[in-house]
This record gives sequence, C-alpha cells and structure tokens, in this order.
Amino acid sequence: MMHEEQSWKAVAEIDQAEVFHFPQGLVGFPGANDYVMLNSGHGDIVCMQATEQAEAAFLVSPWDVNRLGKQPELTSDQKKCLQCRNETRLLWLLVLNPFSDPAWVLANMRAPVAINLDASLGMQCVQANPELDLHFHWMCQPGQSNQAA
Amino acid sequence: MIVLRRKVGQAIHIGKDIRIVVTEVESNTRAHLGIEAPIEVPVHRLEIHEAIQQENCAASQGDARAWLQEAVNDA
Amino acid sequence: MLILTRGVGETVTIGHNIRITVLSLKGSQVRLGIEVPGEVQVLREEIVDPGPEKPVEEK
Repeated sequence: MMHEEQSWKAVAEIDQAEVFHFPQGLVGFPGANDYVMLNSGHGDIVCMQATEQAEAAFLVSPWDVNRLGKQPELTSDQKKCLQCRNETRLLWLLVLNPFSDPAWVLANMRAPVAINLDASLGMQCVQANPELDLHFHWMCQPGQSNQAA
Repeated sequence: MIVLRRKVGQAIHIGKDIRIVVTEVESNTRAHLGIEAPIEVPVHRLEIHEAIQQENCAASQGDARAWLQEAVNDA
Repeated sequence: MLILTRGVGETVTIGHNIRITVLSLKGSQVRLGIEVPGEVQVLREEIVDPGPEKPVEEK
C-alpha cells in the first residue's frame, strides 16, 4: 500500500497552500487541526505550521527507508482516521526537535506523522513498539564539528 | 473526579459520543476497557500521551524558522 | 472499539481533557475514576438505556 518512491520528492512537490487536516490534531495541541507545509530551502526539512495557532509549528522530515528501514504501518483505527484505501499515497514524516539537545537534532520515532496525500489528511500515529526512541539522534546540530551524515 | 463502580459488561457514557465498557477483568490485576469514540478523538494510555505531548511541546518551543535559517546557512 | 488494558492506578486519556483511571479491581468489579470538564455529562449506561427498570437520576 505504501509507495516506496523517495518521500522527499513528495514533500518538495507539496503545494505550500495545501492545507492538511489532522482530525485528531497533534498531542498537546488541541484546537490546531489544520497545517500547511512551508518549504525552507533546506533540502529535507519542512516546517509544518498550524493555520490557527502560531506556536504549533513543527520541523518535519520525510521517512528515509535507506536509513531507517521499512516505513511504519498503520493500525486499522489509524487507517480509518486517515481514510486510507489500498492505493492511497501515504507520506511518513518524523517530527524533529532541534531545541532540547545542544549536540543533536532529535527525531520522534515513537509517534511519526502520516499524511494521506490523496485526501489531504494527517495524523500523528503512535507506534505500539515501546522500544522506539522518542529522542532518536537524527543529525548533529549545525555548526557541530564531527561529521559524516 | 467522578467515581463509578462497573462490573464486566457494564458501561459508562461520557457526553454524547463516548462509551466505555469493561470487557474483562484479569484476576484483580488488570481491567480491559473498551472505548468507543468518534474518529477525531484520540485515545491513549496516559504515560504515552504525556511522553508524546512533552516531546511535541519541546519540538515546538523554539523558533523553527530561525533554526532552519541557521541550518541552511551552515550547509 | 479500541480495547486498552490498565492496571490499578493506570489511566487512559480520551481526547484532550478526559481521563479514566482504574482505582481498584475486585473480582469482576472495577472502580473507575473519571475526570471530565465541568459541563460534560457522565452517566452509567443503565441510565441512558434503562431497559425494564425505572431509571435513577444521576449527576
């Protein structure tokens, strides 16, 4: 069901005016149900901005199968919320946190965001596996020496 | 806090759209709660809800655009 | 229907401002603590759907 093409291509093609509706919103941000994706000039990081709440702005990056392995799977409740059918184009995004750790940009592997590109719906999909890291070391902070992506 | 006693098979209604039924009780250790709610209502274990909420808040606490600008300049 | 399993002292969140806690377990009986915003009604199902018995007024 999930297409294996490069996700970041799909992100780059998203119309910045396109509004994605999150029926459940994001945990901790009730009332912010609609988001736009703002391109930044940074290749694979996009700002997901709530249209009705300025503070609800998140940096997200597409799931990289080469690096992270198979994309997550939706539970049947999640599929229902996202109105997914067999051929639905899904984009998986990781919510990044560049503010908590001075050395690392963190990624929340436990609750990635799924976007139904055909229906313009989104959902933060909590994964059942308790070993998934909420604070995955996704990349070094800019300006840090030590490197090799 | 409203306290209600329920036996297996009994249910509670919250507002118009939410129903919680006790489906099973495992030997005084765990209760199985069946939750029926509209699709736009998220249901989570509290500890998960709090962990995700905390991380979402931390991820949005700073100026994302400013950080991105710095990252772009640094690239 | 989503089924979550909770032990004594454990809690489920529903939406942004409803919490259900398992306060105690005894045999097949559960005591549930329910936290909701003031204006939301919490009712035993028998009140909503009384069946043959006379319904009892419940807050």
